[in-house]
Amino acid sequence: MEPRISSDDIRETIAKLPILSPNVSRLLQVLSTDDYELDDVVNIVKYDAALTAKVLKVANSPVFGLVNPVTTLDRAISYLGKWIVISIILSDNTGELFHKPLEGYDGGQNALWRHDLFAAFSSSEVARLAKHDFEAELAFTAGLLHDIGKFVFSPFWEKVVPEALGHIEEGSMADYLEAERSLTGMDHAQIGYEMARHWDFPEPLQQAILYHHTPQQAPEEFRALAFAAHLGDMCAMMAGCDTGNDGMQYPLDDGYSEFFDLTSESLAQILLEAEIQFKKAISSLSVEEEVDK
Amino acid sequence: MSNIVLGIGDYGASDRPGSMVKTYALGSCVAVTMYDPNLHVAGMVHVALPDSKLNRAKGAECPGYFADLGVPLLFEEMVRLGCQRQGRGLVVKLLGGASVMAGNDTFNIGKRNVLAVKKVLWGLGMGPVAEDVGANYSRTVSLYVDSGGVTVSCPGRGQWQI
Repeated sequence: MEPRISSDDIRETIAKLPILSPNVSRLLQVLSTDDYELDDVVNIVKYDAALTAKVLKVANSPVFGLVNPVTTLDRAISYLGKWIVISIILSDNTGELFHKPLEGYDGGQNALWRHDLFAAFSSSEVARLAKHDFEAELAFTAGLLHDIGKFVFSPFWEKVVPEALGHIEEGSMADYLEAERSLTGMDHAQIGYEMARHWDFPEPLQQAILYHHTPQQAPEEFRALAFAAHLGDMCAMMAGCDTGNDGMQYPLDDGYSEFFDLTSESLAQILLEAEIQFKKAISSLSVEEEVDK
Repeated sequence: MSNIVLGIGDYGASDRPGSMVKTYALGSCVAVTMYDPNLHVAGMVHVALPDSKLNRAKGAECPGYFADLGVPLLFEEMVRLGCQRQGRGLVVKLLGGASVMAGNDTFNIGKRNVLAVKKVLWGLGMGPVAEDVGANYSRTVSLYVDSGGVTVSCPGRGQWQI
């Protein structure tokens, strides 16, 4: 099938994306080192007054029910835990990336953020069940970033999505990823990968983004991380935290069993634990947003 | 109007004219709706997992999360609003329980949720008169107090009645 959209136009959009905040670049570099510590994350936040204020606001939100307010950054970060702090840094320093409505996917404002956050908590829970060593510490961040391609792709995709949904419903295209590729010559995973390269993300995150729907095809050294992102993505969709008209429209790659000890019971535990953490994060971060308004 | 919007693990019922009970994006979760056409009482629970044995603390904190606790609690809520304890005359429907496109059964939590909900309903002497379950798409469900009608919608698939 002849692509309806020029991939050159999509690549031109990626090339014009603004440079990411130094905070994000530093955070991702820190997270991709083997032996980073919480202090390394504290150091990123403490030199940015606005970010420090936000972290303190979130820590003091009613969700956490603290009797005495937290006034120091170290305490706030150790109290919130690194995942929420990483979420604040990425959400706060990436402009509209996670929050803009995804018209092409029928996804409302914050749909991508909610999906990615649930996927991130799920990916990090999946990582606990790893059979072999891998960059498990990156699983949360890989989950959080896996779908960034939808941000760039959505306005292009909007023009052809009715045709795509028709093909999927009548069975002439096997799944959503195939529809994206057939109609545009690219898919959101590939576009996300090119965005990650544009922004010079660490290599494991680039690969996890590229292969989050096809983890078995990832280079061997990045395969486990790609599977963690893949499974986190699946969990988010199962929990109803999808990005819109593509919810549950991608096949599961059951090659995960080589990397993770996953049973129906442990999967239920993952969904439960991810939902608890997700709710807490969404509530505390939205309090922070309301305070800002 | 005072609509009730349920999140994951919530349950609720209403007899307020003109209102509805609604839940968004079920995924593999299951919504059980109960409706008394004589009293115009409408209730719903948004169940996420089959069995509270998985995590007793979560069951205590949010019983509607699990089929074994949530469905009886919804029924109690219907009784509190005047429905017969025998469950007679209640119109029960099941929605959701979707699955990702998987070749193995591990990820088929949607199917396990549907089976668990049915088992609990049978224990209460009830069964669904209609269901829209399974497949691989998420559902948003609304139950209307005045009519007992159930509307299902999904991004990209439009809206339909059950």
